[in-house]
Amino acid sequence: MKTSSAQVSPEVVSNPGGFVRRSVRTAGVGVFVIAVLFAALFSPVSSGQPVVPQASGSNSISGVTCVIGCGSIKPNSKGTISVVPSGLEFATSKATADISTASIDDIFTGNQSRQDISGLGGTAVKAAIPYGGGRVLSLFSHKVEVLTVEYVDSYGGFHGAIFVLPEGQATAYKDLLVAQGARVNAHVEPPAAEEKKP
Amino acid sequence: MNRLSRFSFPLVFAVVASGAAMLLAGSLPAQPGPAGKPAAAPQQAQKLSASAIQVERTETAEDLQVPEDFRISTYENVILQLEKTRKFKQVYRSGDRRAAEVPDLIIMRLVPQAFKEGSQKQREVTTVSGATSIKIKVTFAHRDGQVFLEKDIDGKVRFFGENLRATYDFAKKVAEVVNDNF
Repeated sequence: MKTSSAQVSPEVVSNPGGFVRRSVRTAGVGVFVIAVLFAALFSPVSSGQPVVPQASGSNSISGVTCVIGCGSIKPNSKGTISVVPSGLEFATSKATADISTASIDDIFTGNQSRQDISGLGGTAVKAAIPYGGGRVLSLFSHKVEVLTVEYVDSYGGFHGAIFVLPEGQATAYKDLLVAQGARVNAHVEPPAAEEKKP
Repeated sequence: MNRLSRFSFPLVFAVVASGAAMLLAGSLPAQPGPAGKPAAAPQQAQKLSASAIQVERTETAEDLQVPEDFRISTYENVILQLEKTRKFKQVYRSGDRRAAEVPDLIIMRLVPQAFKEGSQKQREVTTVSGATSIKIKVTFAHRDGQVFLEKDIDGKVRFFGENLRATYDFAKKVAEVVNDNF
């Protein structure tokens, strides 16, 4: 019967503290590299040039977030927003929400910014990076536009839907809906919130 | 050594038992007896009931600029959370004509009192600054306008999450108030 014993490096035996420090440092660098790759892979294209509506519909963009107010669709769901002849349509893989042009009372647009690495996974990655490296990743963000649509249902009940679109798209969608006959009240758009430098 | 442990065990047991007895004795006055119960009883008796509630859209204030997405998000989140409480058979939206037929309708109004828009980036980088907060006066009134419950409730996002999450936090607190009072 053969037996094998693990070979322990004499360096580890002589200086176990240094070995642990090196291991932690290596692991930290590894997590940082993974996080940077994660950021590079999932950062939206909008940071470069504006996203052109895709050719799947006449005027549709995929990867839009419906923050709230899309009927039976869960808040913060991602899907495709389109301007169809009847109005605005937001579709996910499970459900579709329609807002008819005639029911729209008002439309607002606004600028915001979103973190490149966010959500539960992103937060966990940021927290896992030692020496506060996660905070460096928090500096990466991209501009987005928020489209807020106010409309009424068939009983006269007031609804509001909030969509997060790539930069420059919300205004284009607002213009398309107005061209279709959607009502828009005259209101002063608040100045774009400047991102405060930490 | 053996003799020592033989003596120490009853000693430790006695100390522990006496400590437990003292704790028990100390906690007895704090427990509500038959005379102490009325403190909780009126709260139970004061619970309100209504078959339906109508949520009016978040009002605008002259001297306070709240972005429209915050106002809409507040309104929609409150409706979602009210439906989750299951305290009312129907939660009507502002302007819903069906609400006119409900005899015991309660009307909820949301009046913004304070608003501070922070920054998600600042929050995540500094941890201590960049919080977003919204404070809204919530009133519950009968159809005739008589207000029977009024509270200032705030919603905040301090560390992680987008600014609009403050409205979700606010709506959760509104649901707590409804659960406590209805």
